[in-house]
Amino acid sequence: MASANARKCTEKTLCRGQTEEDDAEHEHDSDCESTSSSFNSSDCSNDLEPEWLDDIQKNGELFYLELSEGEEEAALASAANQGVATNHVRFSEKEAEVITEENKKQRCSSWTKGEPPLKRLARILRRKRRPSQRRVGGKDGGKDNSTLSSPPASILKNQPGQRQGVMVQQQQLKEVCVYLNPKRLGGSSTPLSDSGGLLEALLGVVHRPSWSRGQADSAGVRQEERLTVHGLIPNSPAIKCGQILIGDVLVAVDDVDVASENIERVLSCIPGPTQVRLTLETVAQVDRSNASDTSSVHKTKASPPVSQLVRLLWGEDTAELQMSIRHIPHIVMYLSLKLDSASPQDEEEILYKYPVSEASGQLKRVRGIFLTLSDMLENVTGGRILSSSLLLGNQLVHVGYWKQSNNLLVIGLPADRVPLLYLQTVVGDVVRTLKVMYGSLDSAFCKADHAPRLDHFFCLFFQQLIQPSRLRDGSSAPTPDVSGTLFLDGLPAVQWLTLPPEIKVHLWLTWRWILFFLILSLLILEKCLRTFFGLRRLYVILGSCLFYKSYLIANHLPKDDLLDVCLYCQHYCLLPLASEQRVGQLVIWREVFPQQRAKGSSTAPGYSQPQGRHFLLIVGLRHFMQCVLLEAGGAASTALGSPGPDCVYVDQVKATLLQLEVLEAGIEERLNAPSAPCLSCADWFLPAATARDRLDSLASSSPVFSKIASAVKGSSTGNRGRSLFGEKARRSSPQRSLSDSGSEGQMDAGSGSGSSMAPGLSPHSTPDSGRKLGGRRDSLGSGGSDGSGGLFKIPRMKHPNPFYLGTLKKTLTERETEEMYNTMKLTSGAENTLFHYVLMETVQGIFIAPTNREVAQLSGSIHPQLIRNFHHCCLSIRAAFQQSLPARGRRAADRPQGAGWGLGPVKEHGVLFQCKPENWTDQRKPAPTMTYWVIGRMLLEPVPQEFYVCFHDSVAEVPVEMAFRLSFGLAF
Amino acid sequence: MMMLQHGSTQLICLTASSGVPLFTRGASKQLPFSVIGSLNGVHMFGGGQGVVLSCCETEGGGKVVCMVLVLGQDELTNVRNVERLKRDLRSCFSLIDQLLEERQEGIMGNLTYCADSLLPPNPTLLQEAVDGFAQAADSEFSCLIVHGRIAAATEKWWRLAPQEVVLLSALLRSLSASGSASCDYPVFLPQGSPTVAHRLLRFQLLPGADVCVLCGPTPSLHRAESGLVGRFWTPLVETLRDCLAVGERCLPGSVSLRPDVLALLLINRETRRSVSCVRTSTNHLLGDPLLPSKARCWELLKLFYIFSTTRYFTQEEILCALPEERAQRGNTEDFVLGFSHQPLQCYLVTEECKSYGLQTPQHQLFLLIPLSVPTFALRTVATQTLSDIVAATGF
Repeated sequence: MASANARKCTEKTLCRGQTEEDDAEHEHDSDCESTSSSFNSSDCSNDLEPEWLDDIQKNGELFYLELSEGEEEAALASAANQGVATNHVRFSEKEAEVITEENKKQRCSSWTKGEPPLKRLARILRRKRRPSQRRVGGKDGGKDNSTLSSPPASILKNQPGQRQGVMVQQQQLKEVCVYLNPKRLGGSSTPLSDSGGLLEALLGVVHRPSWSRGQADSAGVRQEERLTVHGLIPNSPAIKCGQILIGDVLVAVDDVDVASENIERVLSCIPGPTQVRLTLETVAQVDRSNASDTSSVHKTKASPPVSQLVRLLWGEDTAELQMSIRHIPHIVMYLSLKLDSASPQDEEEILYKYPVSEASGQLKRVRGIFLTLSDMLENVTGGRILSSSLLLGNQLVHVGYWKQSNNLLVIGLPADRVPLLYLQTVVGDVVRTLKVMYGSLDSAFCKADHAPRLDHFFCLFFQQLIQPSRLRDGSSAPTPDVSGTLFLDGLPAVQWLTLPPEIKVHLWLTWRWILFFLILSLLILEKCLRTFFGLRRLYVILGSCLFYKSYLIANHLPKDDLLDVCLYCQHYCLLPLASEQRVGQLVIWREVFPQQRAKGSSTAPGYSQPQGRHFLLIVGLRHFMQCVLLEAGGAASTALGSPGPDCVYVDQVKATLLQLEVLEAGIEERLNAPSAPCLSCADWFLPAATARDRLDSLASSSPVFSKIASAVKGSSTGNRGRSLFGEKARRSSPQRSLSDSGSEGQMDAGSGSGSSMAPGLSPHSTPDSGRKLGGRRDSLGSGGSDGSGGLFKIPRMKHPNPFYLGTLKKTLTERETEEMYNTMKLTSGAENTLFHYVLMETVQGIFIAPTNREVAQLSGSIHPQLIRNFHHCCLSIRAAFQQSLPARGRRAADRPQGAGWGLGPVKEHGVLFQCKPENWTDQRKPAPTMTYWVIGRMLLEPVPQEFYVCFHDSVAEVPVEMAFRLSFGLAF
Repeated sequence: MMMLQHGSTQLICLTASSGVPLFTRGASKQLPFSVIGSLNGVHMFGGGQGVVLSCCETEGGGKVVCMVLVLGQDELTNVRNVERLKRDLRSCFSLIDQLLEERQEGIMGNLTYCADSLLPPNPTLLQEAVDGFAQAADSEFSCLIVHGRIAAATEKWWRLAPQEVVLLSALLRSLSASGSASCDYPVFLPQGSPTVAHRLLRFQLLPGADVCVLCGPTPSLHRAESGLVGRFWTPLVETLRDCLAVGERCLPGSVSLRPDVLALLLINRETRRSVSCVRTSTNHLLGDPLLPSKARCWELLKLFYIFSTTRYFTQEEILCALPEERAQRGNTEDFVLGFSHQPLQCYLVTEECKSYGLQTPQHQLFLLIPLSVPTFALRTVATQTLSDIVAATGF
């Protein structure tokens, strides 16, 4: 069943054609039953080239990213849904953007017609590597007729929903972004039909040359002719974007003017999956009722453009992104300290620098300061220089240093993006990432041919730090806050998703099982290779880790290797990418230099790890991503040159992922489940305008609360007795009355009015249902389940929001209420006061925190602020821990620190914050305030942990206890 | 230019344009000239490129580039004769040394920009005497200094810029340390009169108690000493002795501190005054060897103050005083600005003790508390200490 499912997925996501489909099937079967044919299968996979084969670079590295088709559809659907309700602001932003782009384009096409399009085309042509291999399948022409009739209607139907973007009427030009993937055509080898060509096959636009002239002498001389859209092919990119209409004229592709004579050539230059911008001229006909609307829909939200991040990862032009931050001073330089004074040349000491802009040029010019300071201060103070702060005009720039033998890495960042406290962590992480990727800083920077790749590397680095929101443009994910990114990425750990035990066991078994077969089949393959070709084994699998939607769900890599891999993934934003259903297929292959292995071989005298080369293989399919660390040499044969990825390994890992997809439902269920421990939303603790408003807003967003709300409305008179009782009981003494009314509820339960509400109660209060809790408690094991289990299962009734639920409570039967609040709770006291937490386990290199979805469920306006604040504070707390800590176990590097600290080792650090609702207009009353703690605690026993927690001020908490409760309950 | 070397601070003063060294203080061993030269080179080179270096951090210490205006502004800005300036600057050495070395324990003013104060047991008597003394000396600026801290001062004295009050207190401490019974010292006020010198008259009343007045050409030192000091201060000798008895506790006996407070620093943010004290081990939890020593307590208190104020508590009222300083400080201490909500309190648990800081609109309180006190009780200790002191003294 699993393999059937997997095959379906293959069909859906990969579309690799029938032959391969059979092949995959064959492969799976052979893995399980017979051993003799596995060699065969690998052979086949060599025959049939995978999509990513063209992308392998000379040095064997591969970075292949393909968006899934589902992604486009989902984006389309979500845009259609959200367009009206939520995205007003962004929409208007888009409008402005479009107008300027139009203007720009117009100017371009009018007077600089020569240069930019040519440049653009040159770029496209440059990227084209193996055009001969591109087999373009002409899809059967029979469809054409049907497309002519039905699809346009649906497009026109879409129009009213999208007509907000009315603008720029006169131009009659519109720009449409479509996502094209020539690789999907690869399956069939049918020659291009004369009629359709790439325009039809790739884009899905039907153009009949004869039609526009009104006569059918297609045999006649083909002169330059406008590309009128005569039809659209179902399921093609053109029709999916919903903006290309029959009758439009295709004018340009990515600013390259096209006509019938060159369109095929231009389209054939698209080497791989990419987003192209089509410029269309819309026919403005008076008789068409929707004509004006049609013409006005320019690049609406219907097809959100592929995010800048993806474009960046594809290696597309980064100039525009760089332009937008050119005024912000930032720089990276690798400077040589040893200068050959005999032949002084200009800028000779700069081994590498990025970017080239005015603001960074200013920093570049003062590199003498950096060189002098690093040299002099080390001589004078005996300690290496860590950072300098410079004022450029009125902008403060922090400069971090990293000295490597005779060279100096200098990274300058604006102070408002990266606080000085955390600069060293950032620099340390960059250095470690570079070391993982290139072995050492010298080998990274001192090779001339690395420059373009380093440019790309640092472009990503600066973009992520300086304008993360722009990078995520067009994706649905919430824009990350800089502090949060800094803090979470800076932790020497990966976010771990705690799974319910049954899924965990299932996952573990499945994964192990698959890996076992993976290794087995590789062994068999190897045996065959040895038998037939006398080759030794290529790679040994050192370990692998598995991510689902950016959360680590299984790992058997050693901690340091895991961190190395994770640093790479973080740097290339692979984790958030996988969480947004962006990935149709991701294959990454490169040589890596795991830091611990490089170090370990030299330090351990008795046992030295076999010297080998290491390779990282990352395969992503939709939400799953598996990273495999391979070793060549040592136990396996020594790798020579720069080997590219082996199809066998890639396919095997892919097969693993396909099989794992059966678990997706279970993991999704976990992600959708209310968080445990349950969280409160900060907004609940601030009394808002009126109770009714709150109730209504809640009711609209949550089915459960709507029930409650209707109960309140309906039964406010009928249940008067009870509500009076409830009021009275509540007033006397909260604790006592709660438990009293709890017992009352038990007696009352016979009446049983609507106890069906309990399970999965509310996305807002995120309580776990009692049933689930029972399961979890059982799984906690014997010893502690009574004592510590009691910490989770709070026998008394709780209400997560004392302020508004108090008024609602009276209408619920007590039984319901009890079940409702039978939740796993981290805080002590009557109310759940926990807002957010991060618990890091340093031995395994993982941390847990509420998932994005859990946070999103809480919604609220103040809560996101609070989380931002929490992360910012955590930066400070962690910096205090780090500064006071001896150097051991630091992720960034081996540099001693803390001499200037003086306060001694910090065990615990807390800050109390006060927040007020924004825009408090009521002059008579002072704004209500809410105070909350952010506390960080470093634990050394029983396992080294760092715990950061944020909770409401009303209850004094002991963070150690909370950390114990959390780590015990979640049992890593 | 200030350099931290092997735990000691070194101040090197150079003329910015020519790089001529004016003086060097605080160094056990002189820096090589090449280092000084390259430091100046860094400054000049950066200036040419529109870049100002504000600070550097190394593994062991730090380096700050700054200048303190103590001498007349004219003389410092228009250096005509470098040798003469060097000679003139010599008069400031004692003050500079005091700022650098922090010879006297428990003086926090140069850190907090708040006048170190001593709360006398009977403030009204002393206040009247100071007011009368100032009036008689034809001045509005006068203050009484006990144990290096201001016990009473005229209203105008408090209206001086916080930086001036702190500098004058430091100057008076260094003058009284010289042991003379009285002196007449010309001073420029960086804010009030940077170009015109005033006379600072100082008279020792008792060992450890000094009175001073800031005045114009009259009265002469002799006339003030013979005529005024005796008239106003002889009747108050007993009161002054009570004052001296308060000692370094700075708080009158009427304030009963909780036993679990090791050290405290209380700042009144409105008046820019501060009170600080460290419990001596004699009257506190005798014989506990784990408690940090008195000197260490002062150090911890200072470090905790720096920690809290650079990260959480804003110092906007100081910054308002000096625009150029705001530019400098505001830029290096930008971390505070990153918070979306306002920090009110913070604590730190280290291996030696627990520290607690809290901020209200009017006060900032920093406490050191022994490890034996549970963490969740810290807040109660802090709030209670604050309310006790404020209730008893009206600080």
